[in-house]
Amino acid sequence: MANSRVVIVRSGGLTDPGSPAEQARILKMFSRGFGLLTGEREERSAVLSVFRPEDRVGIKVNTIGGRAISTRPEISLALAGWISRNGLAEKNIIIWDRTNRELRDAGYRLAAGGGGFHVFGTDTDGAGYGSELVSHLNIGSLFSKIQADLVTASVSLAILKDHGLAGVTAGMKNYFGAIHNPNKYHDFHCNPFVPEVFDSPPVKGKHRISVLDCLVVQYHRGPSFHPQWAERYGGFIFSLDPVAADRVGWALIERFRAAKGLPSLAEEGREPAYLLTAEKMGLGRADLGGIETIEETVP
Amino acid sequence: MNRRDFFRSAAGAGLVLGTGLPSLCSRLSAFGEKGGLSHVEARYYRKLPDREIECELCPRACRLGDKERGYCGVRENQGGTYYTLVYGKACSLNVDPIEKKPFFHFLPGTNALSLATAGCNVNCKFCQNWEISQVRPEQVENVDLPPRIIPAQAEKYGCPSIAYTYTEPVVFFEYMYDTAVEARRLGVRSAVVTGGHIKPEPLKDLIGVVDAIKVDLKAYSQDFYTKYVRGELKTVLETIRSVAKSKVWLEIVYLVIPTLNDSAADIREMARWVKNEAGDRVPLHFSRFQPLYLVKNLPPTPVSTLEMARDTALGEGLRFVYVGNVPGHPGENTYCPNCKKTIIQRTGFTVTGIRLKGGKCEFCGTPVPGIWA
Repeated sequence: MANSRVVIVRSGGLTDPGSPAEQARILKMFSRGFGLLTGEREERSAVLSVFRPEDRVGIKVNTIGGRAISTRPEISLALAGWISRNGLAEKNIIIWDRTNRELRDAGYRLAAGGGGFHVFGTDTDGAGYGSELVSHLNIGSLFSKIQADLVTASVSLAILKDHGLAGVTAGMKNYFGAIHNPNKYHDFHCNPFVPEVFDSPPVKGKHRISVLDCLVVQYHRGPSFHPQWAERYGGFIFSLDPVAADRVGWALIERFRAAKGLPSLAEEGREPAYLLTAEKMGLGRADLGGIETIEETVP
Repeated sequence: MNRRDFFRSAAGAGLVLGTGLPSLCSRLSAFGEKGGLSHVEARYYRKLPDREIECELCPRACRLGDKERGYCGVRENQGGTYYTLVYGKACSLNVDPIEKKPFFHFLPGTNALSLATAGCNVNCKFCQNWEISQVRPEQVENVDLPPRIIPAQAEKYGCPSIAYTYTEPVVFFEYMYDTAVEARRLGVRSAVVTGGHIKPEPLKDLIGVVDAIKVDLKAYSQDFYTKYVRGELKTVLETIRSVAKSKVWLEIVYLVIPTLNDSAADIREMARWVKNEAGDRVPLHFSRFQPLYLVKNLPPTPVSTLEMARDTALGEGLRFVYVGNVPGHPGENTYCPNCKKTIIQRTGFTVTGIRLKGGKCEFCGTPVPGIWA
């Protein structure tokens, strides 16, 4: 398996991502992330090396944590806007999660139709879950029609968090929000369920890029928000390899934990074993030795 | 054949006297108002630091952070307080023959007002009702049906009992418990159909307010429970043992699935355990499997396998052993353990004759255990 590339782009002192000044920096971070990842110098080329112009792109956000620790609308809307300015139609971009309630609670304003971006949950009338069970390895689930039917390409724009069961929740586990029964897949540290959901046709066939929102990283007692264990990191992790993205995210969490004198996830008996399973399934690289990590700071 | 087709064909064949699940919405609406989720504090949990909680209802003992839900999908930690989201939120309500549960020694020939909410604390790969049990409450249509009005509805529809069934009633414990308390006040009985995954304390409380419990014993092997149920055999056996020791009427169902739990040795061992730990008077039903949900690669159970299971259990000394889901089979009938005459005759869910007087065989006067009136 060839080395995988992961790009970390940071920008110091981000406190109000919705402000015009910080929005500009965030866009620059997307630009550098996609550019360094794809090797393309032009933004448009970088975007179009990940998506086709005719793609309907689903940006799967993670809003279970409410306003405090969810993918912020300022970030997902900025990404949608940046992608649309670089070759894709606004009307073909959907920012979504499993419920409208969770989206609203995280600060999103719902929008469906009208020619702009769409923002809605699977429980929106007309969306919902497919009627046929997808039975794949140990998984038996109904998939969100957004993921299964509406979109042709998918971005996992997840929050990086510690997770009491999985160890880490990041880009791969974000797709638990695409199935109707995620509560059934938390046994055995969510392993092998995280990689198996990812490996199922509605996800694997469409996932294009992981973008981990690490502006604030919950490095202990996640996935709920605990400010005393949340680090304002001010960065994003980009990778075309979903396993490598999560692996680098895990390393980041371990770094914050060590700095605070907390035991490692392995010492707590909950290292994210799903990553090794994912690597064995051929979904990507889980060993840091096989991952080329590029770090850059945007002023 | 999927579940809908199965119910449709079964109903067409006159096998299902109650209403099939998919057609419930209109009937549900007639009972109550359409509702969302409830916000009622759950019982049986403990608060932990940092707004975490640990559920103490079932052996999973889910430990959850703020905004997280348990494995059942119907109980949620909101800011360090644990809530049931399905209190008074019925997703299914039918008037069913009690034989459909199945209870064969509990008010035979009567109907039960049968109630469910979404959710389950296991994930059986062969679930017949997965469309309501393996979903979150937002994913089904719920109707507001508070405990205080259900017993009156039961009376109105001529049901001497309420059955908590279809999904896993343990996950809607508070709703079931309060309904059972109201029902007892009105003289309506309560019958629980459960997989038996419940902790001792809530089980003890439940036993205090209900009249009958049917436990689905899915297999007599932890390996089966791990692979196909995601549950724990030990807990289920403990539940059976506790109910058997109580005054609540107990029946056991064993769904026989070809190649997975149909070995004669396992069945013999299970029957021995039931006899020793629950007693020879406990009715044991061997039900026929139909390929549904995630186990569609196996055929329906051959009738000969069910007969083998029944013969094995009878041979081990159990006195009331039945064959289920094979309408017209003689193994559906109740036979007097003394004179061997047919004392309750059944075809499918229909009771066609009862030859009991005051709980005794009409022919020889032998007492037959059960709740008969």
